[in-house]
Amino acid sequence: MTWIPLCLMLAIACLYYVFYLPGRLFLGPEKTRAGYLRERKDAVYENLRDLNFEYKAGKVPDADYASLKSSLQDEAATLLAEISRLESLAPASRKPRV
Amino acid sequence: MAEIGSFALLLALALSAYSFLAGIVALIFQNRASSQLVGVTAGGPGVTPSVGESSLATMLRQGSERIGETARRAGIATFAAVLLASVVLVICAFRNDFSIAYILHHSNRDLPGPYKFAVLWSGQEGSLLFWSLLLAAYGFVLRLRYKTDPRLFAYASVVLSGVQIFFLLLLNFAAHPFAIVTGTIPADGNGLNPLLQYPEMVIHPPMLYLGYVGFTVPFAFALGALIMKYPGEKWIHITRRWTMVTWAFLTCGVFLGAHWAYSVLGWGGYWGWDPVENASLMPWLTGTAFLHSVMMQEKRGMLKMWNMWLVFATFWLAILGTFLTRSGIISSVHAFAQSSIGDWFAWFLAITLIVFLFFFFKNKSHLRSEHKLESLVSRESSFLFNNLLFVLLCFTVLWGTWFPKISELVQGNKVTVGAPFYNRVAIPVALLLLILTAVGPLLAWRKTSLESLKRNFMWPTVGAVVVAVFLMITPQSWGSPFGLKPWQDISYFYSLMAIALSVLVTLTVASEFYRGGRVISKHTGQGMFASMVQLTHRNTRRYGGYIVHFGVVMVIIGFAGAAFNQDKEMEMGYGDKMTIGPYTLICRSYTDDDAPNYASEWAVLDVYKGGKQIDTMTPVRRFYKASQQTSTMPDIRSSLNEDLYLVFEGLNQDNGHPILKAHLNALVMWIWMGVWIMLGGTILALIPNAPAPVRVPAPARLERTQAAPVVTGD
Repeated sequence: MTWIPLCLMLAIACLYYVFYLPGRLFLGPEKTRAGYLRERKDAVYENLRDLNFEYKAGKVPDADYASLKSSLQDEAATLLAEISRLESLAPASRKPRV
Repeated sequence: MAEIGSFALLLALALSAYSFLAGIVALIFQNRASSQLVGVTAGGPGVTPSVGESSLATMLRQGSERIGETARRAGIATFAAVLLASVVLVICAFRNDFSIAYILHHSNRDLPGPYKFAVLWSGQEGSLLFWSLLLAAYGFVLRLRYKTDPRLFAYASVVLSGVQIFFLLLLNFAAHPFAIVTGTIPADGNGLNPLLQYPEMVIHPPMLYLGYVGFTVPFAFALGALIMKYPGEKWIHITRRWTMVTWAFLTCGVFLGAHWAYSVLGWGGYWGWDPVENASLMPWLTGTAFLHSVMMQEKRGMLKMWNMWLVFATFWLAILGTFLTRSGIISSVHAFAQSSIGDWFAWFLAITLIVFLFFFFKNKSHLRSEHKLESLVSRESSFLFNNLLFVLLCFTVLWGTWFPKISELVQGNKVTVGAPFYNRVAIPVALLLLILTAVGPLLAWRKTSLESLKRNFMWPTVGAVVVAVFLMITPQSWGSPFGLKPWQDISYFYSLMAIALSVLVTLTVASEFYRGGRVISKHTGQGMFASMVQLTHRNTRRYGGYIVHFGVVMVIIGFAGAAFNQDKEMEMGYGDKMTIGPYTLICRSYTDDDAPNYASEWAVLDVYKGGKQIDTMTPVRRFYKASQQTSTMPDIRSSLNEDLYLVFEGLNQDNGHPILKAHLNALVMWIWMGVWIMLGGTILALIPNAPAPVRVPAPARLERTQAAPVVTGD
């Protein structure tokens, strides 16, 4: 029957760990649309970097490069425009909640 | 000891149930509090929220956040409880505690130590406990890393807890690993299945299970992101490494299984399209498709619905694989259990499908594509075709695996499909996938012009054609794979195509490294090799991926070698000769041996090549005392060209003469080398990128003021 105190100790340790919450909780920053658009912008920039590199490596002909670069720049411009519009509406940036 | 294990399992169930329920409650109230706060603050100009409304919402949120934290911690504590149960089971195996039915049925006193450790996953109850342990371990890591994105991780944690509850319910109420033997306790156990007493069996199941279980994590994140309508694709970034690690484990598990079958089962092959082999292949196929198509979502915001389905299918097929392996519902050479847990799995599979369908159709609008396919000749379309081929192959394997059950339900008799059924689809699909592996990396995103195609493909294609012609015109006496005449046999045609396309892939991969290295070399003045190393370090995922492709090429070349396989069987007395390919085998003697765990008979054969003795080989036949079963241990002599594979099949019942079977398997070593390269490439892809000192000019068209809204992030 030595297992009973062992099991009790285990259960108490688990309950203590689960329910004893000292201090404040880390909740992280809230995800906003502007944040989402910044992620998209980063992705488009990465695509632009890839395209530039492939062009320099000789994989993409001049005409293809110009057209692909232009469409990626259009996409980035659209994103930047919306980001700046959202930032002008909410100038105070949110800080992470702790 | 058994009582501690049983208690730990019950505690784990209670903790994961709490983690699941409290997690759901916390998320519901957090959402409600957020919408109240939004409603209060969005009342518009002049509408001032009452202090009561605002403080109620704040209290609600704080309370739910604390409940959420307890749910997270309960998930972490679940790991401790399941770990304890697993440790207890292993200790019981080492202590030969045959009062526990599981230990009695899967171990014996003379079982070597490593196999006693492997008892944990050798039977149904233990392997379910092991599944649960690995899931809890993945959950443990996930919950510790919650600061990356607490809300998304909270959703994923709830999904993981839901899956964990299922396995813990099974362990506590249907397949208890600590069930006690009633009546007299036998002095020794029944022993471990002889087929499992092989070193690779100590690592093959853990690898496979790490792969199976691991796909629960990307699924949990995907479902969590779908439920919360997660804005953006960051969940993919978060799960990218999880998915790659999981895929590597599954790859390792699948090929270790193939190597085990090759080294132990004694039929001379590594893949027999057995249902349990197929069960591991199916999630690998959809997982591989997901690894490719997810790039389209990251780069272009496309295929979001498809990816959601792929990640769900991968998880679902992994559960189905565990079900197949453990339930014995379909006959297999290595379904090591027959049990009644099939109903539990069927219900779980149905519930997960319903839950997924519910949230998929509820939040489908959140998954709409941000871009359309612009051209059929583009990187996107190559990924799309690659995905369709993987899914087609997966469906074929699924159909063939379940056909005996389907035919039994429809016609009343079981009809089993064999290798020809699978090969009819798998070989052409594999060849098409090789073409896409060669073509894909050279195509540009969005669209590729004819000029670009010409520029990138001319030399690799010329190289592949030259190699194909060379293989056709060389004499067959050079050994495999030379002298391939595709018109002689369809298998030769497939082999030639596989090798030629492998050369095409290798050349395109090499050209990618060379071109990238040349750009860096030009800018930095470094040598070509240093530049290629730097190039790889700057984009480890891409170039690691290319190395994985190269590994795949080697595996395919190994598969192509099957067209040249030979085998021969004969009774061999002392001094008898057998000739196979370039080898002559002369039987020198037979001997036997007695170990505590098994008795064995050995054949001793001298191997000659070109008139010179090059080796002595000793295929073995073992008789395991505890289980009263016989097993063969082939002796394999591997070289880059071929494996000489000898099996001692036993004695002729009529005249007592020993029977030897010899296989000459071409290019098999290429498969195992290819797998190492695939794993090396995956490890490389997991290394973080070095920062690239490249400047990108900012887009010059910021003057757009009335920009159309970009895709919704909800």
